Amino acid sequence: MSTELIKVTINGKEFQVAKGARLIDVCREQGFNIPSFCYYADLALQASCRMCLVRIEKMPKLQTSCTITCTDGMVVTTESEEIEKAQRAMVEFLLANHPLDCPICDRGGECELQEMAFDWGNLEERFTERKNAQPEKYLSPIVANDPQRCILCKRCTRVCDEWMGEDAIEAGGRGANTVIGTFGGWLNCSECGNCIEVCPTGTLLDATYRHQARPWELQQTVTTCTYCSDGCQESVGSRAGEVMRVVARDRYVNGHNGEFLCIKGRFAHTFINDETRLRTPMIRYKKGGKLIPATWDEAVKFATRGLDKAAEAHGANSIAVVGSPRLTNESLYALKKFATELVGTENYTATDAFSLSPFFQNLGGQIATHRDIRHAKTIVLIGGEPEELQPFAGKQIRQAVRNGGAKLVIINSTPIRLKERATQFLHINPETEDAAVLAIFNQAHNELAARKMGVQETELIELRRTITNTEGDVVIMFGGEVSAEAQSLLAQMPYLFNKEGRRALLHPLPLYNNSVGATDMGLMYGKLGATEMLDAAGDSVHAMYVAGSFLPQHLTGREDSLGKLDFLVVQELFETETTRFADVVFPAASFAEADGTFTNSGGLVQRVRQTIPPVNQSKQDWVITAQLSKELGVDFGFQMSASAVFGEIAERIPAYAGLRYPLLKDETNPVQVKHATIEQRDLSQESEAIRARVEKMSDTATKINATPPVGHELFKIGTLTDKLPQMHLLASGNPKPPTLAVSPLYQITVDAGMKREAIGGD
Amino acid sequence: MFIGAIGCEPLQLKRVNLEHSRTIDVYKRNGGYDAIKKVLGGMSPDDVINEVKKSALRGRGGAGFPTGMKWSFVPKDSPKPKYVVCNADESEPGTFKDRYLMERDPHMLIEGMLIAAYALGARINYIYTRGEYRYLINIMDAALDEARSAGLLGEKILGTDFSCDIYTHTGAGAYICGEETALLSSLEGLRGHPRMKPPFPAVSGLYACPTVVNNVETLTAVPDIIKMGGEAYQKLGTEKSGGTKVWSVSGHVNRPGVYELPMGYVDMEKFIMEDCQGILNDKKLKAVIPGGSSVYIMPAADITGKGVRMDYEGLVAAGSMVGSGGFIVMDETVDVFESTKNLIEFYKHESCGWCTPCREGTDWLVKVFKRIARGEGRPEDAQLILDLCDNIEGKSFCPLGDAAAWPIQSAIKKFPEDFKRHLAPLTMQTETEVAAD
Repeated sequence: MSTELIKVTINGKEFQVAKGARLIDVCREQGFNIPSFCYYADLALQASCRMCLVRIEKMPKLQTSCTITCTDGMVVTTESEEIEKAQRAMVEFLLANHPLDCPICDRGGECELQEMAFDWGNLEERFTERKNAQPEKYLSPIVANDPQRCILCKRCTRVCDEWMGEDAIEAGGRGANTVIGTFGGWLNCSECGNCIEVCPTGTLLDATYRHQARPWELQQTVTTCTYCSDGCQESVGSRAGEVMRVVARDRYVNGHNGEFLCIKGRFAHTFINDETRLRTPMIRYKKGGKLIPATWDEAVKFATRGLDKAAEAHGANSIAVVGSPRLTNESLYALKKFATELVGTENYTATDAFSLSPFFQNLGGQIATHRDIRHAKTIVLIGGEPEELQPFAGKQIRQAVRNGGAKLVIINSTPIRLKERATQFLHINPETEDAAVLAIFNQAHNELAARKMGVQETELIELRRTITNTEGDVVIMFGGEVSAEAQSLLAQMPYLFNKEGRRALLHPLPLYNNSVGATDMGLMYGKLGATEMLDAAGDSVHAMYVAGSFLPQHLTGREDSLGKLDFLVVQELFETETTRFADVVFPAASFAEADGTFTNSGGLVQRVRQTIPPVNQSKQDWVITAQLSKELGVDFGFQMSASAVFGEIAERIPAYAGLRYPLLKDETNPVQVKHATIEQRDLSQESEAIRARVEKMSDTATKINATPPVGHELFKIGTLTDKLPQMHLLASGNPKPPTLAVSPLYQITVDAGMKREAIGGD
Repeated sequence: MFIGAIGCEPLQLKRVNLEHSRTIDVYKRNGGYDAIKKVLGGMSPDDVINEVKKSALRGRGGAGFPTGMKWSFVPKDSPKPKYVVCNADESEPGTFKDRYLMERDPHMLIEGMLIAAYALGARINYIYTRGEYRYLINIMDAALDEARSAGLLGEKILGTDFSCDIYTHTGAGAYICGEETALLSSLEGLRGHPRMKPPFPAVSGLYACPTVVNNVETLTAVPDIIKMGGEAYQKLGTEKSGGTKVWSVSGHVNRPGVYELPMGYVDMEKFIMEDCQGILNDKKLKAVIPGGSSVYIMPAADITGKGVRMDYEGLVAAGSMVGSGGFIVMDETVDVFESTKNLIEFYKHESCGWCTPCREGTDWLVKVFKRIARGEGRPEDAQLILDLCDNIEGKSFCPLGDAAAWPIQSAIKKFPEDFKRHLAPLTMQTETEVAAD
């Protein structure tokens, strides 16, 4: 859209609007109410509902304002008898075959058609014929379908195609018999549920929430998702202390993700009220004995005594403090403070899959937010698999390519699904991502890198040319495959491209909701990493205070390490492999019961709001930490308020300087933390280290040729997703049940044979 | 059944009655492929377009858009490939002329497409036939093979630099795919839904490239225009409607068939009573739908003694349209309510379901018509039907909605008695009463 202004007259009033603006947007911005169903910003135009009709002078018929681009001198009428008749006629048509039984429909109370019927419907129904009945059915374990409520706005099919790139649902049949359906009647996709979200009627419904509650009974709380690093804003609907559902519908929440959520964010919230949540603090009085429920006072005293004993016997450094990248900034900050200021240990860390500390220590440019990704003109994706691990970032990449005309270069050892959208796909040998980083950093290494990566040198030249010829932003994204040295090189790349006149933004792809926050809070800068710490258990580390749990990849081969500790304090939601050896276990509050902030991969610091009171006797992690420190004789002075903790974060951590909760109130305008950038520095040491490693790589590696199936990461059963029964069906290949009329949960037993073991971690 | 020309030398139907008319030999012996030789022998693409403009040829598919003008909309400087697509999805009820043109004289269509492709710079071209015309694909393919063997298709046609090929494609049996943008969607392998206009196909059509979609009869007219010159062709007809038009005559006449008439043929009554040899079984004429089911119905009173001129302007003046030339004659035994019910059932069945008014409106109308037919008509139904038609007309995404509404509106207006019979007790207003309001 250009900045040139043109004159448009709407209902007799003149307005200056940007040339190329869409008429429906202009009218709505100026306060003229134009109804529509099929128009949805940033999706392909449909113009099929015919609700947004307006009269434009010199045009023969009524025009759909969603398809009209404003031209200079255009004279528009949006309100007249003729237009109102047409709009009322459209609602009448839509309601003709639509059941008028809103009280039994799950969407009742938040249905766009219902609202439209209030505004534009007639008092009496003229349609007295029989309605075209179609049976209700299930499309998948989590998507229920009531086809006769469909008004064929096709938002769902467009979202499935344009956002998700899956084309899993499409219209079938013709005319009045058109139905939205799937190939083979069963939905085999990433089950994001965005089709449910954008549906303006009760046609596509959340099967996990079906007939559980009415929307007006729910308390809607805007908060940040607890799964991946995208930091999607969502609205958690709860009733009487129970989380009933999660939505991103724009009537409740309007975050940077719009109405987008993935399967985990939208459906895998059942862990919050799961009956296996820890109920009370527990103490293991004797090594090898049982955990016995205790009161908070007893447990806190027992824990502090144990930690004290270890410190006296082996010194402060024998105590390790471990956080989880799932915790809020507040809880992580409290842990770091506990470790450094109270215990005085150098051994602290967060149980993340990989550390971003080399990246942030060398940061030479700005972090790309998800909005920046959507508007980038070139996206370079090194490693990672955003469509499975960071679904919203994946959606932004797809839309940048499709709607924004961005060039997408993917460098990956696996032919990930996203490669279908790529302008250039460099299919490299496994574990040679570093070679790619080296070649981008210094083209002198092209020959070596190409040989080790198993690609042509010309491909690397083309990749560099794509970056050089970009008109607009370049966004460089990378996953956990790159080494620490390669992270440093990537962090400094903006200087390289700035010289060529390009603005380069960086976007790391960590795996957890607060991986970036854990780095910011300083927890990732301890002496030992998570695995090293486990290796040191019983050796130099004698006691541990763990908030959360170790990941399976940390514990593999070290299953008994935690048993070697003299004393282990764990705060968790569930019993895990880590609590198995704990001497004291505290029940911790989940994100839905906590106040705080998460910092996402784009550096946005966003609020986590308490949705329900803590389940059972659980407490927020930072509250437990503060309680322990108080018992140890140090008052952190948090006054039992998360905002006070955040105030201290803002004072002590420069990137968060000046921030307060009120500034983070509006999820529509998220705040990006100001990560310190460092001057361009000499990286010859790092690049030499990488070169030496690349030299040692094999010349004859075998490539991975299979594209991983949809959901291979998304449907993985973790400690949290384990609590959603439908997830086990999906993890077992989403079998099609004998009948689609009832939920597959009632037809397929999720038994030992079907049920996957929880692998912890997420 | 009669196939031939009345009132003029046959152009389109010149060869249809010859033996082996669909072979290239018969076609060539009777002046075939002379036009493409003339074109390639020294005419520039602009010359061709100018001749077509001069001929006042208008699209024979139904809309009657000037063909030369359509061709000139294709951007010459576009770096994209250009396409000529022949619309042989002849699905309009009452229309069957394209079927005979393709079945009996396929080479005429090939030559017409070659000339169009030359004029527009198209390398690849398609003939899209309706699903029900599958047998025509074999005929067309055989003819295309003959032309290819004769060096008239493929690389360097007739030794010139002009290369061009034509492929056939069949739809899956949807009326909507006769709408040019839906046809293009279907040709691309998508659902046959119409697309937004603008952009028009001339700018962004098949695979988002400049495309001209023309009806079979439009393209088969082109060789004769080149041979005799645009002006001579135009003079066969009237000033604004050049040349001849092929009509598909069906219904209650003694001699139905495919008739080629010069544009501006006078008059319709003579055509029915003399050329078509009058009404079957000596019954009286009741109504005519002159241009396929989508146009307004004409009562006998508007025809008899009115000297209706059979061309675009003449029929508009008489209260209807040329449309696709599907000339349906009905005698006095016809109940217009029943024939209208039949039509609306067709439109309901063929509505693609894309937009609200057409999808829901036709469904509703069918339900009302069926209820009336069951004897459960209510006096207010006529008003309801008219209001529903009004709510569809002009609000639908593509003209199918309009095409469904018009015949009903005109049927109620012109034959209120037939509706009244089904709606007793009667309170609906007759045409004169409406006029008095």
